[in-house]
Amino acid sequence: MRPFTRLVWKEARELLRPRYILPILMLPVLFIAMGQGFSGIEDQLGDEPQVGVLAYDDNEYADVVQETLEARADVVYNGTDGSPERALNRTTEAGGSAVVVIPDNFTERIRDDQRGRVRLYTRVESVSIVGIASSTQVESLVSEAGRNLTVAITGATETELDPIERSHTTYVKGERMDASPGAVSAAFTSQFVFVPVIIMFAIVFSGQMVMNSMASEKENKTLETLLSMPVKRRQIVAAKLLGGSFIGLIATALYTGGLAFAQLGVGASFGGSAVTLGGTDYALIAVSLFFSLVGTLALALALGVFADSQQGAQMLLLPLSGLAIVPMFATMFTDIDTLGLGVKTALLVIPFTHPIIAPKRLLFDDVGIVLVGIGYEVLFAVGAVWLVIRLFDSDRPITGDAGWLDRLVGFVQR
Amino acid sequence: MSAPAVEVSGLQKRYGDVQALDGVSFEVRRDEIFGLVGPNGAGKTTTLRTLATLLDRDGGSVTVAGNDVDEAPAAVRKAIRYLPEEAGSYDAMTGRQFLAFVADFYDGDSDAMVDRGVEVADLGERIDDKTKEYSKGMGRKLLLGSALMTDPELAILDEPTSGLDVQNARTVRGVIKEFPNAERSVLLSSHNMLEVEFLCDRVGLLNEGEIVVEGTPEELKAEFDAQNLEDVFVEVVQ
Repeated sequence: MRPFTRLVWKEARELLRPRYILPILMLPVLFIAMGQGFSGIEDQLGDEPQVGVLAYDDNEYADVVQETLEARADVVYNGTDGSPERALNRTTEAGGSAVVVIPDNFTERIRDDQRGRVRLYTRVESVSIVGIASSTQVESLVSEAGRNLTVAITGATETELDPIERSHTTYVKGERMDASPGAVSAAFTSQFVFVPVIIMFAIVFSGQMVMNSMASEKENKTLETLLSMPVKRRQIVAAKLLGGSFIGLIATALYTGGLAFAQLGVGASFGGSAVTLGGTDYALIAVSLFFSLVGTLALALALGVFADSQQGAQMLLLPLSGLAIVPMFATMFTDIDTLGLGVKTALLVIPFTHPIIAPKRLLFDDVGIVLVGIGYEVLFAVGAVWLVIRLFDSDRPITGDAGWLDRLVGFVQR
Repeated sequence: MSAPAVEVSGLQKRYGDVQALDGVSFEVRRDEIFGLVGPNGAGKTTTLRTLATLLDRDGGSVTVAGNDVDEAPAAVRKAIRYLPEEAGSYDAMTGRQFLAFVADFYDGDSDAMVDRGVEVADLGERIDDKTKEYSKGMGRKLLLGSALMTDPELAILDEPTSGLDVQNARTVRGVIKEFPNAERSVLLSSHNMLEVEFLCDRVGLLNEGEIVVEGTPEELKAEFDAQNLEDVFVEVVQ
């Protein structure tokens, strides 16, 4: 095996140890599990609700309510006497959680031009999305019954009941989207909440891996042996970056896949092709993330030179994590374009901002801006690689001497 | 006639306010074992690291096998093997894989080097176990095997028998004793004066950043009218 290949093999092998690879694998699995969980809740809410009916009134309008419930829900209990509590118990035993009680004067009140009254008895075992949303389902059933009653009482047609048909065209920053503002907002929000988090994790994990790899060279006392062998220092750096990038690419693929999965979900939910990304967009996001990772790895390696242990590396990772977290929160809670010039410039100087804002830019077809961002990331990556090669060409990996930075690092590690 | 294995002249190194080396000068000839001894903090490891191209120097000249350590570090690295006092191997590799990893960086038949390394390490079947399962002594023997298997012109050994039991230390000393020839030399640092006296053809005593005495063990004992090197050491350092 050629020396450089052997070095890359060694790096990949070291980084593929469980302590490094498990966190990378666990996170997408966690996201998928969360996605499956929410999907399960959606499925559950999509099913016919199971309800009970306790009708003390057997006249015509009470019948309309009962017919509506039987048509739109799975009526698991149907009673005409007994207490509501007993009806609720029976309903719960049959798998339902709510009982609609129709009092004996229901029809009579409507005939007297008064509002008919029903009472809902609901059993909530857990204060969760499912628990709260299931009662909303029963509420909508009662609204449906009210609508049917209106038709029965007045003889009105569907058109008379809802005479206005609405369709939406929303312009966001000049971009036309055939969806309601609510749907557009929901689609964007889901991306702004999850995408920056995913990208932030990719950046932080990759940085951590390379920094740990450097720290473990020192901890395992292998660095002096490695550096005294006939191999160019830049080859050692390149091997560490290539080995780290290999793992970083796996992370990028996993996280980009997760992003595509989330995007498809949003598109399906709102049916708006205008608020989804295409294949080229995903490729650009992947390129942006890749160069961001290369810069991160080089910077992490440079920082790792000054870490004397894995614990020290964790501490040195903090500033790097901070640089990833700042644009994440900025994107989640604000629109960078609306910020002042100073803050906006400060955020755009952080290389990690660019992959984080890339999906949003691409949604508005701002491909040029994304390409400029990628150009900046390439420059940053080249600068970071140059820095780490300079460090490895000096005796700093052995002495750990960081000059004036040494005092700062010492302060951070304390 | 080929250049000496090592020529050090006026070597200086400073760490912040500390002058670690203050004009160290010595020579290691071909076919000899040179012992660098001295109290803790005398500058032994700094000297060895400079020879191994790991540290930059602040002054003086250092050549290894005729190559300046700053101007031709690649040639120096080809000529040497450095065994630091505190060294380790990669946890994810077996002993044999570690030897193969090291052998790939040197010219020659990698398989033959690995075979030689296995022989010197003398770990039996444990050579195919992960190195993280090795005891300290086993790890040291593996590293010594990896250091000598490449046939370096200069083997720089810092405390080579550190962590070894009596029997293994004796075996290792035998291997080191047999190593020098017309093309090969050893620069050795040790706190064990009996070991130094047994192994070394010449000794340089480093104290407070400079070589204070130098000669064969017999010459030094005669000069200081001492029974052994340990007495010489105590006499000089006091």
